[in-house]
Amino acid sequence: MKRVIIAKNLIKSYSNKLLALDNVSLEVNKGKVLVIMGPSGSGKSTLIRTFNGLEKFDKGELDVLGIKINSDYDERKIQRIRRRVGMVFQQFNLFPHLSILENITIAPINVQKRNKKDAEEYGMYLLNQMGIDSHASKYPSQLSGGEQQRVAIARALALRPELILFDEPTSALDPERINEVLDEMRRLADQGMTMVIVTHEINFAKEVGDKILFMDLGKVIEQSSPEIFFNNAKHERSRKFLNQLDKY
Amino acid sequence: MKNTKFISHLNILEKIKKILFNNLFNSLLSLLLILSLGSIITFTIKWIIFDSSWKVITSNLPLFAFGSFPKSERWRPAIWMISLLTLCVLTLFGPKYMWLRKNIIIGWILTLPLGFYLLYGGAGLPHVMSRNWGGLTLTIFLTIGSSFFSLPLGILLALSRKSSLPIIKKFSAIYIDSMRSIPLIAVLFFGQLLIPLFLPFGLEIDRVWRAILAYTLFLSAYIAEDIRGGLQAIPKTQIESANSLGLNKYQINKFILIPQSLIIALPALTNQSIGLFQNTSLMAILGLLELIGVGRSVLANPEFIGQYIEVYIWLATVYWLFCTIIAIIGRHLEQTMIKTKSNFF
Repeated sequence: MKRVIIAKNLIKSYSNKLLALDNVSLEVNKGKVLVIMGPSGSGKSTLIRTFNGLEKFDKGELDVLGIKINSDYDERKIQRIRRRVGMVFQQFNLFPHLSILENITIAPINVQKRNKKDAEEYGMYLLNQMGIDSHASKYPSQLSGGEQQRVAIARALALRPELILFDEPTSALDPERINEVLDEMRRLADQGMTMVIVTHEINFAKEVGDKILFMDLGKVIEQSSPEIFFNNAKHERSRKFLNQLDKY
Repeated sequence: MKNTKFISHLNILEKIKKILFNNLFNSLLSLLLILSLGSIITFTIKWIIFDSSWKVITSNLPLFAFGSFPKSERWRPAIWMISLLTLCVLTLFGPKYMWLRKNIIIGWILTLPLGFYLLYGGAGLPHVMSRNWGGLTLTIFLTIGSSFFSLPLGILLALSRKSSLPIIKKFSAIYIDSMRSIPLIAVLFFGQLLIPLFLPFGLEIDRVWRAILAYTLFLSAYIAEDIRGGLQAIPKTQIESANSLGLNKYQINKFILIPQSLIIALPALTNQSIGLFQNTSLMAILGLLELIGVGRSVLANPEFIGQYIEVYIWLATVYWLFCTIIAIIGRHLEQTMIKTKSNFF
């Protein structure tokens, strides 16, 4: 089984006292979906953002797609990782001054040096897959949140990534818009895309996740399969968290 | 709603009565205003028609437009200004073809080289030295030349001020702060009087270009601050998502940060270009015969002595007209960008 991410003993501190990542180790295999859960401030966003170099760490080793980075933060290596890893953010983060199609093609054209026509064709294909190809020449502000997030997924896919990171992709959406985004993610999982997802959607995590990683205060509390985590969590802290989620 | 409907049915006289004379105090106030406004307007009209002599303007029109440009070559600045006017009209009212919208900026960029070629000559046209340039032509040339160079320099300074390299950052901050603490007229004096002393013997920069250099050095500091404001208004998440796509620093500046900061800074930039257009008049003190300079030299003519009210009213009108054009173009750009959130034209 090929490993896409291997993290060993990652440590990161924001101030002297607070550890954002406290000795985090994990592995993600090719074609698998890792779901990271945990209360806010537990370090899950920090963790997922270290995988494509948006956050640095102080100690430990990280191997993403065979590219090893450590706390030196080699800019060129990070760049090589980013070319092969897509990311979707909570607030979509589309470029407001570019049209939808330009948002999707900017990276393939300028980073991967594909020719414009091919990039646009592939961009239209991705938009078509998501059922939003009619919006190609509009601007992000003219789209609903769910549509914008699907564009963001298409933008991540346009680089033909081997791994996609989702940082709370549905947290900023209206409840009735959440499913249209989750459906796209289900489709990607079915196609065998390797994904790391930070989310609070329990049902989605149960259904799509191959492994659940539960974090609190920068520590990995538990890594289990969804069946075990949601029905019979090993740790008291995990059960308490799940109970609280159930209340809402 | 009912009330306004009611008012619209009254005839005009009753409306006036209702608005201006509804009680004693308002009636008195209205009467006073009407009388004073009326007398001002009648006296002005009477002065314009009977007392003033507009011959000082009409007989000097070519001078106001072209300065002392040789008579036989006046068609050159005329063509340049007509091409500028055409560009304005195309930008504002032109057809909405995509290729035109996208390429009209090339036309704007070409105005400076075209203007320089037409004014200076060469390549088939006889040379006209810059001491013969003048009037409106020179005012516009100074404005366009200075904005042409100060916008890129301002962008560069703004980016340097946010740079991660401490030397570049410090240099840019010191430059901007010191330029902003010197009055424009001092910078212009520096450009006209001191630059020639600093240059090695034999090397000479034409005084129009020295003026443009001085305006550029001065204005770029202000433009840099306007653009820095724009850069600060862009959320950090934009840089993060550009980073996550693998764009490098240069590409992030070029595709993400500069376009967005220009859109945000546009109202302030319009303001700067209006200010620049008016500030070119300071060159009159330093011996360039731009609009105000021509006005002063016309007034020095014994034939028109003492007619400065006419001359300055005329100059004010010309300045007002061109500043209004700049303002309209600025507003037009803002509105098209609200519509498309992107294209500049």
